[in-house]
Amino acid sequence: MSTLSYAAAAVPVRPDLAAAHARAWDALGRPGSWWTAAERIAIAAATRAAATCALCRDRKAALSPYTIDGSHDGPGGLPAPAVDAVHRITTDPGRLQRAWLEALRADGLDDGAYVELIGIVTTVIGTDSFCRAIGVPPHALPAPEPGAPSRRRPAAARDEGAWVPTIPSGAATGAEADLYADIPGRVPNVIRALSLVPDALRGLKDLGAAHYMATADMTDLTRGRSIDRAQMELIAARISALRECFY
Amino acid sequence: MLLRASGAVAGREVDVHAVTDDAAAAASGVRHAETLLAFADAVAGTDDAALDHARAAVVRELGRAELVDAAAVASNFERMVRVADATGTPLDPPIVMLTVSLRADLELDRFGAAANTPPPSLVWRALGPLVRPLVFPMLRVIAGWRGR
Repeated sequence: MSTLSYAAAAVPVRPDLAAAHARAWDALGRPGSWWTAAERIAIAAATRAAATCALCRDRKAALSPYTIDGSHDGPGGLPAPAVDAVHRITTDPGRLQRAWLEALRADGLDDGAYVELIGIVTTVIGTDSFCRAIGVPPHALPAPEPGAPSRRRPAAARDEGAWVPTIPSGAATGAEADLYADIPGRVPNVIRALSLVPDALRGLKDLGAAHYMATADMTDLTRGRSIDRAQMELIAARISALRECFY
Repeated sequence: MLLRASGAVAGREVDVHAVTDDAAAAASGVRHAETLLAFADAVAGTDDAALDHARAAVVRELGRAELVDAAAVASNFERMVRVADATGTPLDPPIVMLTVSLRADLELDRFGAAANTPPPSLVWRALGPLVRPLVFPMLRVIAGWRGR
């Protein structure tokens, strides 16, 4: 179990939030569906390195990121398409294009590996961003555990219009039956987005429930925390606008 | 849309222009909007001194638990925007239909990721003008029912 702690924070971090971060960190250090634990930690380290990558800085400043070639800064241990995916998702998510992902696929990055990578990158960004926001240093990355990836791909996943296959609303059964069980009605597209790698979706929902609210509660607009729902949505909308996120 | 809807459910008009226009924040209808927007900007930015200042303002004006929850929401959406954009996730058809004017007001259709969402079908386009005026009154009724 992770030793991740907020005991040194100057503000009281909710126990459920600290526990969710500890679960996320434990999962980070275990083998995934498509990456070994060591590769998952390498993806996490690359996510952190992207913030100071000179190529990413130049691309971010360019009218189009696709006009600037070069090599990313940071630790090794990952295939080049995975490194580019980590850096682009971290530093310039609003200008990603389907053609860019298709080029990564052509260079050997499998859909499942890409979706799991998104889950790792966003776990690290969410947790590190929270630490910085409350004024504590980022947590040390966990030590990788031994073991092989499961390479499990849900049979129900198919093309539903996103860039990666997803499990349709109502089609999560068997080993994936839990994925949408708590969500009444049609499952929102962004929740289904990581369903090709069920553990990535489970991690997304677990962190989301602690940071924001459980998926099933999102339509209850009376629900807030110590800040009210309108204050929560104002912050959410501002971050989305700053990142030029259309969704 | 959830910003405007959450205000409607609470019985107050929220000016969503505060999301993209700082001048609209003070009169947005959201309590401490300017302080929270400055904090969100600092979380998304790279200036540590600006973040220290914004963090202190949240603690001073709202409180310590409120800082934790504001930080949790901001960092959650640092995750979610990347999930949506990296997977090319299209906006859900009912949301496309309900947010036509909102997207125009805030000029959201200029974002590159807008290309991931196909135009609404004829059925959704026909439903839009009929459904949109009913949404907020219905949400208020549902919220009242839940609050009983």
